[in-house]
Amino acid sequence: MTVLTPTKDLGATAMASDVVYVEPEQQVTESMLRDAMGMEGMNTSFVADVLSAAITHERCGVHLHRSVANRTNNPVLQSRYLQYGDDAQDHVEILESAIMAAGGNPNYISNMARATENLDSRMLEATYLGSGGIDLMTAEMAMLDAVFLGATIKQANWASVRQIAEALPAGELRDVLMGAAEDVTPQAADEVMWAATMRARMVEMQAQHPLAEQAAAKASEIVERVKSWFSDEEHRTSDQATAAAKQ
Amino acid sequence: MNPLEEPGIPVEDQFRNWSELNVDPYDKMEVDPYTRTRVILMNGIEVESIIFSHQFARHTDNLEIKRALATSRRVDAQQQKVVNGLNPGDQTPLETTIGYEQVAVDLTAWLARHEPDPMLKQALDFALLEDFDHLYRYANLYELLDGKNATDLTDHLTEITPGRPTIVEHRHPADEVRGHYNTFTVDPLSRMHVMTIIAAEQQTMNFYMNHGTDWIEPIARGLYAEIALIEEQHVTHYESLLDPLDSWLKQLVFHEYNEAYLYWSMLQKEEDRRIKAIWELHLNMEIGQLHAACDLLRRFEGVDPEEILPPELPDTPVTFEPNKQYVREVLASQVDLRADGLRYVPVDELGSDHRYFRYQETVNAGGVPSEQVIEADRSASGHEFRDETEGENPIVDLREPVATK
Repeated sequence: MTVLTPTKDLGATAMASDVVYVEPEQQVTESMLRDAMGMEGMNTSFVADVLSAAITHERCGVHLHRSVANRTNNPVLQSRYLQYGDDAQDHVEILESAIMAAGGNPNYISNMARATENLDSRMLEATYLGSGGIDLMTAEMAMLDAVFLGATIKQANWASVRQIAEALPAGELRDVLMGAAEDVTPQAADEVMWAATMRARMVEMQAQHPLAEQAAAKASEIVERVKSWFSDEEHRTSDQATAAAKQ
Repeated sequence: MNPLEEPGIPVEDQFRNWSELNVDPYDKMEVDPYTRTRVILMNGIEVESIIFSHQFARHTDNLEIKRALATSRRVDAQQQKVVNGLNPGDQTPLETTIGYEQVAVDLTAWLARHEPDPMLKQALDFALLEDFDHLYRYANLYELLDGKNATDLTDHLTEITPGRPTIVEHRHPADEVRGHYNTFTVDPLSRMHVMTIIAAEQQTMNFYMNHGTDWIEPIARGLYAEIALIEEQHVTHYESLLDPLDSWLKQLVFHEYNEAYLYWSMLQKEEDRRIKAIWELHLNMEIGQLHAACDLLRRFEGVDPEEILPPELPDTPVTFEPNKQYVREVLASQVDLRADGLRYVPVDELGSDHRYFRYQETVNAGGVPSEQVIEADRSASGHEFRDETEGENPIVDLREPVATK
């Protein structure tokens, strides 16, 4: 079963430091990581840390996409948020399998994963803690920005997974990681491109359309307006979308 | 019991009228001492809940969240009035103080005995000895000012004898900051232990901050000022143990869950039927508040509460009971521990130029109220006030001088 929040009951482990206590049974050390995930010619504990950060980002991605899908007023955005959330959940599963194939524990939380969790959870908080003081259109932009930022990190993470795979000697682990990277990298690139495109379109629509002036609009009117955004999405070609994004 | 599967009371249905809030207090001479400690603890828990909610509200302008916080917070404020209202008007602040220190001793010792993480257990043991000493100092003040016997309040359930002497508890603030648990690997019970002891110590700090000036006698005012500062140290010490990685909404859910656990715990051992009914009502209210917090977590963070909460409450309720042997063992083995940065070390391992000694010289210059109160009571009554039901103090240097016995 895919784990979205590792806990002690689910076998979460971490390294202890002066500042972070970890119960002895939950503690791992660099040598334990090396023993479990021996990777010839590689800095195994660093690789374990990178994979832990990558899976943490995917877990946070599931939460982010669920959250923004819950809150957006636009059905086109919602549909994509749901899809990318499902994708992120699949990517958690792929990484779980890859880490286990390497002899590791997918519920190991590295220092890099802590940093990832911190960044991602604050980014998600930023989409709602300050939403009272901004208009609905800006709130939509903020959520899309979070998705865009998350997608760029995701893309970079999968590039790292590929780099690691390429550096491994030939064998099953290399094949597993390479296969995972090849499957997911295009999806990550698609999400980045989609988010960039939608961002560009939102800017374009609001900058050029006089109806987008909001000062006198009622909230219900703005909601209706946001709902109607991208209603031509199905008729717009991907080339047009890409061109808008590049602009 | 899994609070997530219990219906509880919807938050909007939890408001009570003035008559319901203005409860009859217990009889201070008849009350079970551990009912008094339960009242003190749960008052502190509600105060923490209110303060946390206010802090959260100051970090968001999301109206849906602010309104949900305001609604639950108003109910918490009503719960606090009911719980604190159980304290009788004829219970003096000093008598309440002795209750606070009995809470500090028997709550901390119980939590330490049941704490799975050895580092957190050490943090509890460390401060336990200090609160244990405060009980002894206040009991002497009680005898000195009021001519009364603190065992009328503690009923011999908790020993009264020196712990780590208050005079040596004053540490440089930099040595009060600890490391913290990891939110992913922490035992759910440990998280609740830490949250519970923070609330209890914070309430003690607040009480002494506000009641330290209730006296005319300089010795009492001085003692409260001195011990209030130790309680502030303890809040710093314990709050350091929390992992700051958790988001505001996760912290809210953890608060509500812990409150449900504690009201359920209080319910298990309460023999006063009227007060037991309050614990039961508040448990059902907290379950309703937990559901409201979980709804916010799902909606705004996309997190299912089941991901971060255990499948059921711990089997063992937090229990007020005597911990005499445990306290003696910790005293015998740890009285000489001090803090050095993030570590606990024997005092003789601190260099003579350590900031601990410089801080000690500064604050203890010109007399120390926690020592003066013992000397004053000795002079007035011819003895120190102690209640050593299990024999002499395990530390030879802390035994009562023969001449004053």
